Amino acid sequence: MTFISRRDLLKRAAAVGAAPLATRDVSVGPSSQSGHDVRRDDPGVHLHGVEGLAAREPLETLTAAEADLLDAVVARLIPTDANGPGAAEARAVHYIDRALGGPLAASRGAYTSGLAALDRYARSSRGQPFAELAPLDQDSVLIDVETGAATGFTGSSAAFFALVLNHTHQGTFGDPYYGGNANFVGWDLIGYPGVRTMVTAADQQRLEKGELKTNHKSAYDYDAFTKAGRNGH
Amino acid sequence: MMQPPPQAIVVRSPSIAAEQPIPRDYTADGRNISPPITWTNVPSGTKQLALVIEDPDAGNPPPFVHWVLYNLPPTATGVPEAISIDPQAPMPREIAGAIQGVSGFRRPIYRGPAPPPGKPHHYHFVVYALDADFGLKPGLTRADLLAAIRGHIIGQGELVATYERKAP
Repeated sequence: MTFISRRDLLKRAAAVGAAPLATRDVSVGPSSQSGHDVRRDDPGVHLHGVEGLAAREPLETLTAAEADLLDAVVARLIPTDANGPGAAEARAVHYIDRALGGPLAASRGAYTSGLAALDRYARSSRGQPFAELAPLDQDSVLIDVETGAATGFTGSSAAFFALVLNHTHQGTFGDPYYGGNANFVGWDLIGYPGVRTMVTAADQQRLEKGELKTNHKSAYDYDAFTKAGRNGH
Repeated sequence: MMQPPPQAIVVRSPSIAAEQPIPRDYTADGRNISPPITWTNVPSGTKQLALVIEDPDAGNPPPFVHWVLYNLPPTATGVPEAISIDPQAPMPREIAGAIQGVSGFRRPIYRGPAPPPGKPHHYHFVVYALDADFGLKPGLTRADLLAAIRGHIIGQGELVATYERKAP
């Protein structure tokens, strides 16, 4: 089972949009520590194929155990399937890890308590840590968390689920500049052709026919965006 | 014309005793798998069966619905344990063609008891025998189902069990 059907996924992704986040913080920009530069004119990035997961980037906020657990969660929220790679390949957790040290810092405590509660709930109800459960059992746990049926959370488990799902969407479909949507797998999944500063009439016609080839460009591959960001605007 | 009262169907479970607590595996405190249900004394002339699990102690308005299953073949004598939550998975052979409707959890799958702590809740496992094949579509809620089968219930029975969560 895919936890969220592809049809649902595409509907929800449309709400998230492919635009970069409105709030830009240098702490979530390209990091020399992570070495993950999103500029697609760097041929090196293509070494991270979608056939398998690249090695995890150094963590900035989450603990290794939290990141392992969160990786297992996002892999079920937007799973890899016949339609292509999902949130794990998009490195949604890398986005969340970095954002929790910046624009999403207010959610850090919710992740600490929520991830701990989720794993406790998996152990108490299904007898194993979440990451070690079979995919369908992981889905069953997540459904309980989503519906508020899970116990041990501070407040409703549904609120934690909604938080993680929202951030997973951001990390999968947001601009790769922020650390997720690695190799543009999220944009490829929804058919977003990439950020363009100019669209010709011919481009528009190709887009309407579904023939416009993606350019795999981040907004920050364009000087206008990059300069604004570097000036802190 | 008044419809005669439905024939009494006897509903049981090999895993759940009447008026007793539901085992943890069938609740959100355990594996949350669907329980096995059996029934007997289905009227002749039954064209299809339906099963609804509901909690009249919850819901706004009550009951809160935990499972809706319809389009069960008239030959079925029960529902096996652990129907898959994978929507692509086929139904077991003995209930081939059965359709899961939408529960109070807004999903077309079984979700077990998860009541707020404070008091035991009562769970009604209701089986309906129907005298027509309605061609019911997927996605029906309990209310949709009951509206569709009104006037066609020729047999009905239920098993009632309980579940209570203790305060942490």
